[in-house]
Amino acid sequence: MSTKRELNAVGVIGAREIVRFFKDWKSSLVFSFMFPVLFLGILGGSIAENLSSGLGYNYLQFALIGMVANTLVMNTMMSVTSLVEDRENDFTQEIFVAPVSRYSIILGKIVGGTVTSILQLFAFVIVAVVMGIPVGLPIIGWVLLLAPIICISGGALGALIASIFSSSPKTADRGVIMIAFAQMFLSGAIIPINNSTGILSVLAHAMPMTYLIDLLRGVIYQGTPAYSSIVLYSPAFDLIVVAIISVAFFIVGTTLFVRGERNR
Amino acid sequence: MVNKMGEIKLQPIIQVKNLTKRYNKAQQLAVNNISFDVQPGEFFAFLGPNGAGKTTTISILTTTLSKTSGDITIAGYNINNQSKDIRQNVGIVFQNPSLDLYLTAEENIRFHVSLYGDYQYKPTYRLMPQEYKSLVTQLADFLDIGEDLFKPLRTFSGGMKRKLEIIRSLMHKPKILFLDEPTQGLDAVSRRDLWGYLRKVSKEQKTTIFLTTHYIEEAEFADRVCIVNHGQIAFLGTPAEMKNRLMDNYLLLDAENRSLLASELRPFKTEITPDGKFKVHFDEQTPQHIFSQIKTSLLQLEIHTPSLEEAYMNLIDSKNLEAVQ
Repeated sequence: MSTKRELNAVGVIGAREIVRFFKDWKSSLVFSFMFPVLFLGILGGSIAENLSSGLGYNYLQFALIGMVANTLVMNTMMSVTSLVEDRENDFTQEIFVAPVSRYSIILGKIVGGTVTSILQLFAFVIVAVVMGIPVGLPIIGWVLLLAPIICISGGALGALIASIFSSSPKTADRGVIMIAFAQMFLSGAIIPINNSTGILSVLAHAMPMTYLIDLLRGVIYQGTPAYSSIVLYSPAFDLIVVAIISVAFFIVGTTLFVRGERNR
Repeated sequence: MVNKMGEIKLQPIIQVKNLTKRYNKAQQLAVNNISFDVQPGEFFAFLGPNGAGKTTTISILTTTLSKTSGDITIAGYNINNQSKDIRQNVGIVFQNPSLDLYLTAEENIRFHVSLYGDYQYKPTYRLMPQEYKSLVTQLADFLDIGEDLFKPLRTFSGGMKRKLEIIRSLMHKPKILFLDEPTQGLDAVSRRDLWGYLRKVSKEQKTTIFLTTHYIEEAEFADRVCIVNHGQIAFLGTPAEMKNRLMDNYLLLDAENRSLLASELRPFKTEITPDGKFKVHFDEQTPQHIFSQIKTSLLQLEIHTPSLEEAYMNLIDSKNLEAVQ
């Protein structure tokens, strides 16, 4: 009974995120296209034309996979940090006074964020097709298969950010932007990091998204000549790191956020 | 439980003992060692000025805020380790609206009932069970927002949002309904209708109502009134006791021949004001009875019967607080 109720709560909170996504479909559509056009079309296109010669692999496909993982992480992260906005509108009172576990609340946010993030991937496919980037069914299949893992990890990071930057929605937004950009440029989403050394290498390996992107590229490039030039670790190792980080972030983030709500 | 007189005494549904709350980095206590009980089915009004500690207390009782110290039992559950059970048994209308403005009124209600596990969540209203639809429609019609049920909340006035929150809080049939200034923003007609409905709910469903309000007249509907000020209880009793204790009914009289008037007023409880006038209290007698004993020609005659609101204002005045305590 209790498990059923908790699962129902996860579904309800997730459903709210999805309903809100479709209610605000105009801005959802604009944002879905803005990201791939800006970072894949303009930034990625520019790097591909000017700097990618001699890499030995298709840079735009490399960047596409990185940006897909980045989008999944960022969108789910923002879905969870919207709890801070909910609190500003006093809506968290309604959620946190319900007889459900706090973990179910955050998990519901992650589920909702996962679904809406995956829905936004169609924009990447369209931009990739327009730009002539090879996107075969195996790539789409692997992305869809690993998307829940990537999103759950992004959501767990969002829970941690929400607990640290919980003073106002503005602070939370700044926290998300700061983390998102640091991850995007340091994790190898758009700029290869295989040859990074010193502090840049340390920072790259400190980014949770490094292992998520490496996991996705690891399974996609498995058995191809580009594998050794692109992939850092084996998919199994990446998966273990991702699992440990996600569980830790989820538990610590949720506990701190709830404690911050009650212990005023 | 049966007491020495053989009367059946119900276990209080809310038990608060020595509750204290100090906010982080605050110098003063928001709630200072208060204790009270609420009986099942009771209509309990928690009154006080801004900053008295009303919302802090209600937030602690509904498990959304931690206490600094004290013991609390709600519906038989201890707040320290059974907060989820407590939340299952209470309904709340918060002081600040806690609605999702992106959703319609009905979607907000559907979200609530599904979160409480009363109904399985369905993506559309049409797919929800008939029982849910009937209950929503009945409550919405009663509070006069039936036609707006499927409109976005952004189009709702403050009063309509308040009504929606009340409907939502009653959907899961809670044992205790906490109402934190629920009539704020409602017009006089809506307030009257709402109180009529809440009394009906309280009576028919035996729902315990814990109300905080600024409106002293709303406390007259209550079984008992608890007045808090500066985080402490200033008065706890029935509205009738509050009136008897706080209402100071008197006649203010003056005459050219003050010594003759003084002799005529000797049988009555009289005090002299600083400017030499006579203040005759008439708690036991009627003003008519006092007039019939006076033959002196009067220069001034005033009948002073303060309203409950004046009595309340007097009580929360810090000077009078000490006297009442």
